Parts: sequence; structure tokens; C-alpha cells
Amino acid sequence: MTAPAIEIDRLSKHFGGLRAVDDVSLSIAPGERRVLIGPNGAGKTTLFNCIAGTHRPTGGRVVLFGKDISALPENRRMAFGMSRTFQISNVCTDLTVDENLILAALGNDRRKWIMYRPISALRRLRDLIGAGLARVGLDHRRGETVKVLSYGERRQLEIAMALISSPRVLLLDEPCAGLSPSERQKLSRLVSELPREITVVMIEHDIDIALALADRVTVLHRGRIILDGTPSQVQNDEQVREVYFGRV
Amino acid sequence: MRSAILQVLNGISLGALLFLLASGFTLTFGLMRVVNMAYGAYYLLGGYIGLTVMRASGSFELAILIGGLSIVVLGFFVDRYLIRPLGGNHLSQTLLTVGVAFFIGEFCLAIWGGDNLKIPTASYLRGSVVLPGELYYPTYRFALVIFGAVTAASLWLLYNKTQIGAVVRAGVDDREMVNAIGINVDRLFVLVSALGSFLAGAAGVIGGAFLTLNPGAEWDILVLALVVVIIGGLGSLEGAILGSIIVGLLDAYGRWLLPEFSYFVLFGPMAVLLLFRVTGIFGREH
Amino acid sequence: MKLFAVAALVLAAALIPVVAGEFWTTLLTQIMIFGLLALSADLLLAHAGLFSLCHASFFAVAAYTTAILQVRYGFGTAFAASAGVIAGTLLAMVFAFAVRTRGVYFILITLAFGYIIWGVAYRWASFTGGDNGVTSVPFPIIGPLQITNTTQYYYLVFGLVLLAAAVYNAVAGSPFGLTLRGIKSSEPRLRSLGYNVSLHLYAAFVVSGVFASVAGVLYVYHNRFINPVAASFPVSVEAILMAIVGGSGTILGPFIGSGLILILRNWVSGFFHYYNAVLGIVFIVTVLWAPLGIMGLIARWRKRGRGAGP
Repeated sequence: MTAPAIEIDRLSKHFGGLRAVDDVSLSIAPGERRVLIGPNGAGKTTLFNCIAGTHRPTGGRVVLFGKDISALPENRRMAFGMSRTFQISNVCTDLTVDENLILAALGNDRRKWIMYRPISALRRLRDLIGAGLARVGLDHRRGETVKVLSYGERRQLEIAMALISSPRVLLLDEPCAGLSPSERQKLSRLVSELPREITVVMIEHDIDIALALADRVTVLHRGRIILDGTPSQVQNDEQVREVYFGRV
Repeated sequence: MRSAILQVLNGISLGALLFLLASGFTLTFGLMRVVNMAYGAYYLLGGYIGLTVMRASGSFELAILIGGLSIVVLGFFVDRYLIRPLGGNHLSQTLLTVGVAFFIGEFCLAIWGGDNLKIPTASYLRGSVVLPGELYYPTYRFALVIFGAVTAASLWLLYNKTQIGAVVRAGVDDREMVNAIGINVDRLFVLVSALGSFLAGAAGVIGGAFLTLNPGAEWDILVLALVVVIIGGLGSLEGAILGSIIVGLLDAYGRWLLPEFSYFVLFGPMAVLLLFRVTGIFGREH
Repeated sequence: MKLFAVAALVLAAALIPVVAGEFWTTLLTQIMIFGLLALSADLLLAHAGLFSLCHASFFAVAAYTTAILQVRYGFGTAFAASAGVIAGTLLAMVFAFAVRTRGVYFILITLAFGYIIWGVAYRWASFTGGDNGVTSVPFPIIGPLQITNTTQYYYLVFGLVLLAAAVYNAVAGSPFGLTLRGIKSSEPRLRSLGYNVSLHLYAAFVVSGVFASVAGVLYVYHNRFINPVAASFPVSVEAILMAIVGGSGTILGPFIGSGLILILRNWVSGFFHYYNAVLGIVFIVTVLWAPLGIMGLIARWRKRGRGAGP
């Protein structure tokens, strides 16, 4: 059996008295599409933040491709091939689409420290940006300031930014939130077409999209895992139904 | 030993003065996120006005009152017509209020001149008191310690134990929420700001009786008040109290032990504190 | 169009000593030096979003170091000037820890830092000369190059400032410059992309300190003496004001701002004793009505000209 891409071992995150994430353990195989679902406040984004490094866990470990990254600060974890998007679109609105992508591309590149040569001199970058934008269907927006982009387009940009560094693990936090039905379709297709070299972990509220994209589904409730299984297992589970819809 | 105790008293009395200035600054920031660098100039102008009142009337109490009230009026106009249009940009607020301070400073220079002036104080505050251990200490500074403690206690009670204080605290905590439940935060701010302005002007008169009033004094006192606020944490009244004592003591000891590097003694701990706790002792992320 | 305007400006500046006489030559030298100081502060302000009130410290420390080494210890210009820049930069490396804070705290801390240096310059009289400062700084002499009058010094400063502006331009357009603007725009975003934000801001602070130190060395040879006023709060805050009045974020802006403020001071103090009141009003007016400065006004004017018509 190959080593897991992500292994979370008894992870906890407490905010004072609140146990946002409570003793969570799970294992995600390389290339897997894992979807995290659960009602609001279940701790999904907090779990994500612990994996990505935005939060320091109160207890437990995060292991990425066999390496314990629990003590690493956020920016160092990204160097290990992790990319993430945010629940509320977070791109640099004062900059252009290209500039955002350049920053994403150089995040793990020593060339970000160059102070004496202009960006235009980094030749390979220009092609990389073009390809990155085409991949998400944003090439018609090249050169524009992010401020003029619609929310859906900003979402697409964020995905492009997450993909441009050729990550091994992609963390998507509710990528479809705030999008129109057609935009959701587009995004869903984009995610399903991602190569299997990338392990995808997604938080998603939309059950249909979640079940369509997932290899496995993990259901969270009040910071704990209540079920970890295949989409059909989750769909037919009594407890999950109760958690989402109340007693029938 | 004797000198050490004297320095403690010097420190606490200076701290009392700084508290008057720092409390207004920290509360206006806490409530409305307003940075007002003109507080030093308010101090100076209030002090000079108090001097004139003192010369004209001979009443120290009246000088303090008029000094404070005149700044309340000035502060109101500055808040409403200059600061409010800026809409919360700290950089703009800083630059604008520095400009106001420059203007006020020159105004004071034009009217009261460039000499070091001191406000003569009330007769019952002159001379020295005798403390246990045959220690002689200026009555004025001793009274200042008591006045500072009383003011700090009153403000603390007002802030923590009254209904209006609770509303202000709520506003500092979550301005949008307070607005949403129907309380007019802007009007609240006028009140808090007026209190801060009064304290600043009154502090000028009080300080002008044992420190000097002169061009540049507005910046010297402002920097000390800002260090109080940095150490104590922006927006925290407890922080202002604790910070004032700390800064007062550091200043007194610094001047006594290392006069050439007293600013190091003063700002060194602040810098070290910030390396470990970037928002001060009681401050919060804003 | 823009390149042409800049070239014309540079050419005009180059001709000043020839056409305008000693007063203007001296004034323009001063404008360029303070413009460079304003530019150094603007690197942090426009690109990293940090409002520093301590840049006069690096300026003054560099000036004092150079002056003391030349006047008191007899070192030559090459050594003294280099040591000055290094001293200012070393101080910047210490003060740069202020980047652990943001926003208002950063403003207040740099204000306090600036005060430390002013306090030392003023009170450590045995070393710095206190109120009197260090006087009788000679004209710079580097090997065969010997400055003997203000016109020659003007051209030296002019050349060095052009060089500094070119370096600044390179930094602003580099990946590092873009990183700073990204941090200013959204720090959490940059951190999640793998950037060590604090380290980048630290580096930016130090780089801006280098520019401020160079300005300080140029200043001491221009003024021929240095005193604590050079380290004072008004100098730091005026540097920021110059950048904003002229146009923060541009290279020309800080120099235009410097020109405006210094010419205004020269003119007003001829008939009005309380010049600082005028300066205060300039602060207020700029912040309220022209926050993008003169370059911003020019840009708006040009846009309107272009947009006009059917």
C-alpha cells in the first residue's frame, strides 16, 4: 500500500472552551478526491486551516507525504506542494490578473527575491501565466485589474493561482460558494478534469457536487467525524440524514 | 535608597500626567479607530490658555477648567470637519492631525512666544510635604499622584461599572453591532472625544505647573503618551493605567541613571515587549 | 509621451546651474537630497503599505557618521561616506524589527524609534556635539575628483540621485517589488502562497534604509554641518508629506513634493515668520483634497483630456 498523501492523526483545535476540531483522524490516499461535508459550524474550515497552517493545532499531527508538517508555519507548508483556496474569495484586488498569477507561480520559487531585474525578464513565466489562465477559461481577462472581475471570475482566478505551482495537494474550501448554477457546473467540470497526480481535498456544501466528484466522503459534525465512506454509503446513512435534516 | 523612593514618586507623578493624555487617545482610538496626533498640541494649547487664565484670575482651578473646555471646543471642530471626512484611513488621519498639531504649535508660538514658561500654581499646592522617613517631596507632585489615582479610578468605574461605560465598551468591542441595535455610535464618540479633549487640555495646565510650556513640548509629551498606549495596548483603559505607571517610572529612572540615553531606557522595554506581544499588554488585533 | 516629459525634466535640471545662479543651484541640490529621503520612505509606503516615521534616523546617523569620521578623525571622503551609508543601513536593520507590527502600531513604533535617535543626538553631547552638532565638514574629495564649489556638487548629487532613482525603479519593477505590493494588497493571500511576509517586509525596510542613508551622506556634504534637527520628527514626517504631495507610488512624485515644500518654505519664510503653520495647512489640504498628490492630479487631468469628446 502506498503512503497516504495526507495523514491526520488525532488533530484537535480548541478556541478557548470551543472544540472546533475534536480528535479527528483521517487518511487520504495520493490522487484521491476527498470531500468534507457537514453542517455549518462542523469544523470543516478549521480543519482545513490546521492542514494548511493558518491555525496551529492544539493537539495532534498533520503528515504530508510522510513528512510531519505540524510545526511548520503556513508559508513553509506551501513549499511542500500544498495549495489552497479560501471560502471567501481572497485575491489581490489592487493588482492585475497576471500579477496575481505571477505571485502564485513564484511562491515557492527563489526568484521571488530578485530585486534588480524586471519581471518581464522572467521569460518562461509569461507562457506559464497564459497556460494557467486558459486552463480555467480566463484568458480573455488577461491584463485586467482584479477589481473589475466578477465574483465567479475571481473564483476561477483563485483556482488558477492554486494550480499554477503544480501542487501535489489541492485544498478547495467551498469553491462553488457564491456562484450561479452555470458557474458551478463549469467549476465542477474543471475539478473533475484535474489530473490524478494532484490529490484533491474539498469542502463542499452542495451535496450533489460533492457526491459527484468524490472518491470518498468524510462527514463532520461538531468537530468530530461521524462517517468516513464512499458517496453511496454516505448518501444512505441514517445518522448523516439526521445531522443534516433533523429527525425524520 | 532615599533617591530611589524619590524617583518612584517622580515616575508615578509623571505617569499620572501621562495617563490624562493617554486615556483620551486610547479610548478615541478604541471606539472609533481614530488616530489623533494633535493630542500633544491640545496639551500645549490648553496649558498656555490656562496660563493666561491664571495670570488674569489667580485661580488655578479656573485655569484647569477653561484650559480643558477650550480644547473640547477645538477638538469638536477638528473631529467633525477635518477628521470625519477621512473615513477611517489611519495614514490620512495621522498626516492630517500632524498638520493640525503643526498649525496649533505655530499659533502658540505666535501668541505666547518661544520662552520656557511655567504656570504658577495655587498657594495650597506650593512647598513640600513631609513623608514618612523624613522625606521632603514637592506638594504639587504629590497632589498630582493623588489626582491621577482618583481620575484613573473614576474613569475605570465609569468605564466598567456604569451603563454608559458599558455602551462605550461594547462600541470598542464591536462597533457595527452597537450601531445595529440602535445606539448612535457617532454621538457616543462625540462624548468620549470631548472627555479626551478635556483631559488633554487640563493636563496641559496641570503639566505646565511643574514641567515647562515651550515650543516642542507638544511632541515630547505626545511621544511619551504614545509609548504608554503602545505598551498598554490601543483601546484599553487598563493598559493606559498600567502603561502610564511603567513609562513614568522608566522616564524617571532613565533620566536619573543614564541621562544621555534616557530615551533608550524608555523605549527599549517597549521595543522588547513588541517583539513578543505585538499589540501591547492589553491590546487586541484591530 | 511620458518618457519625453521625463527626459525634458532631466535636461532642464541639468541646465539649472548654468542658467539660474547660486541660490537656485543650492536650493535644487537640497530638493534632490530631500526628494531622495522622501523616495526612501515612499518605498515602504507605496509598495509595502507601511507608514514609517523614523527615516530621518537613518538619514541623520549616516550624516553624523560621515561628519565625525571626516572632521574629528581625519578620514577621507571615500571611507567616511561608505561608513556613513553602512552605519545608517545597520540602524535600519535594527529598526526593521518594527515590521512585526502593522498599521497604527507600526506608525507609533517608528515614531518612538525616531525619537530615540534624536534623543541620543541631542543628549550624548560628548560624542555628537549636542545642540551644536558637528561643523566644518569639508567638500568631498575622492582620489582625483575634488569638489570645490556648489555647482560641481550639484552635478555630483544629480548624478547620484539619477542612479538611485534607476535602482529604485529596478526594485519596484522586480519580482521583489511585486511581492511587496501583493503583501500590501492581501497579506493572508501571500502567506498562503508560500511567502514569508515578515522577511520580505524586513528586507524592504532595510533597502529603504539604504536609500535614506545615501541621502544623509549627500546632505552632510551639502550642508557642511550636521545637528540633531536632522534626526527630528518633523524631518521624518515631512519626508512622507513630500512623497504624498508629489504623488506616492511614482518615482518623480517624491521629488516634485520635495520641490514644492522646500520652495514654499523658502518663499513664505521671507515674509511670514510662522512657516510651520503654512506647512500644517499643506498637510491638511493635501490629505483632504489631493491624496494622490500632484502626479495624481496630472493623471486625472490627462485622463479627462483623453476621455473628452464624442
